Amino acid sequence: MIAFSRTLTVSASVLLGATLCLHAAQAPQRIDVKQMSKQVENVVVPLPNEIFGALNKLGSVNWREYVRTEKSSNFTERPRIALLLGTVIADGFIAVQAEDAPAVKEIGQRVLNLSKGIGVGNSITPHAKAITEAADKRKWEEVRQELDRTQSSVQAAMNEVHDEKLSQLVSLGGWLRGTQVLTSVVTKHFSADGAELLHQPDLLVHFQTELQSMPEFKLPIIRDIQSALGQVKPLVDVGSARISAESVRKINDITTKLDNGIVTKD
Amino acid sequence: MHRLIKISFRLGLVAFVGFVLPRGVGGTVDDAQSFALQAAEPYVKEGFQVREDYWGGDLGSGEKKAVRQQLFKGNEYWFWLGTEVERAKISVHIYDSEGKLAEQPDSWEKGHFAAAHVIPKATSSYFIIVAVEESPEERTHWALVYGFR
Repeated sequence: MIAFSRTLTVSASVLLGATLCLHAAQAPQRIDVKQMSKQVENVVVPLPNEIFGALNKLGSVNWREYVRTEKSSNFTERPRIALLLGTVIADGFIAVQAEDAPAVKEIGQRVLNLSKGIGVGNSITPHAKAITEAADKRKWEEVRQELDRTQSSVQAAMNEVHDEKLSQLVSLGGWLRGTQVLTSVVTKHFSADGAELLHQPDLLVHFQTELQSMPEFKLPIIRDIQSALGQVKPLVDVGSARISAESVRKINDITTKLDNGIVTKD
Repeated sequence: MHRLIKISFRLGLVAFVGFVLPRGVGGTVDDAQSFALQAAEPYVKEGFQVREDYWGGDLGSGEKKAVRQQLFKGNEYWFWLGTEVERAKISVHIYDSEGKLAEQPDSWEKGHFAAAHVIPKATSSYFIIVAVEESPEERTHWALVYGFR
């Protein structure tokens, strides 16, 4: 399955009108999951703000506590830049949650610089500008949309030059930072519903499979992430059981170490 | 004002894709995507954030494809499917990890548009099944977008 970058966004709800309010034709009440699994081509990686949105509904979160704007190390290895880029975009979503305009603007600039470092800066320049403008006007929904567009454009530009593996690392970096913050929040104010947001075993398998297909990236951080995903999987692959407070804390420890590894030099 | 200009521009693009391009000739997945987004537009006004990425391909009549997606309890999701083949009939349905139909009764399909609504009862991986039920074309492009709030 190929994720295509959006090239057109459209309106024209008038073309649909009320006639669309028709009930779907009878769909089977059950499908054979094993059979259907063979037809699945890919797993969709959620954006951090999708998880943050669900987390927000469980109670107010002091997002300012998680805002991070300090500059991380400069890397020359493209896989490291890709991981860091995903992390910094996730930081952008956190800054939006905190409604911190200066932080959003700094992060927008950082995203642009990292994109240039990886050779896809041209496709990001208009997004970085739009992020700054929307942050100045405190139009948070527009900033969210631009961050989503930024990630999509970066990944589309990478895919165009057959750097799909780097594109996957962007998603992975964002997911790791999102998971680190999610587990920090839930560790501080534990709830079963908050912990349930970590029930993502298929995503872990997806990332493990992707990393296994990158033997050419012989970097310690990649090996660390592979090992860490193996540690996290049994903690979240609990079926219908609940994810414990202890598991949440362990995942937070693991993802915090990885995050440090992503943002700092070896 | 800026947003209004953008919407007008997008409306123009929809008109171009929908009415100016020859029907069923030279269509692409990008065209299918514009129709999926068209189906999504009324929901944006209801606060749904539509993801920038979309998923697409082409299918023959009667063929299905599955997308596996992590959904989070507490969020509400709509999935919109579109194709540029106007005489095609397409569908999209959502099943939980056990294979049980998980969508809300207000999910709908209408010719070359279809949509499925889910309010996840559990944070888990779900199957999104897209299908081309009927089509005059040998292969029919499809595109799936989703939004959440």
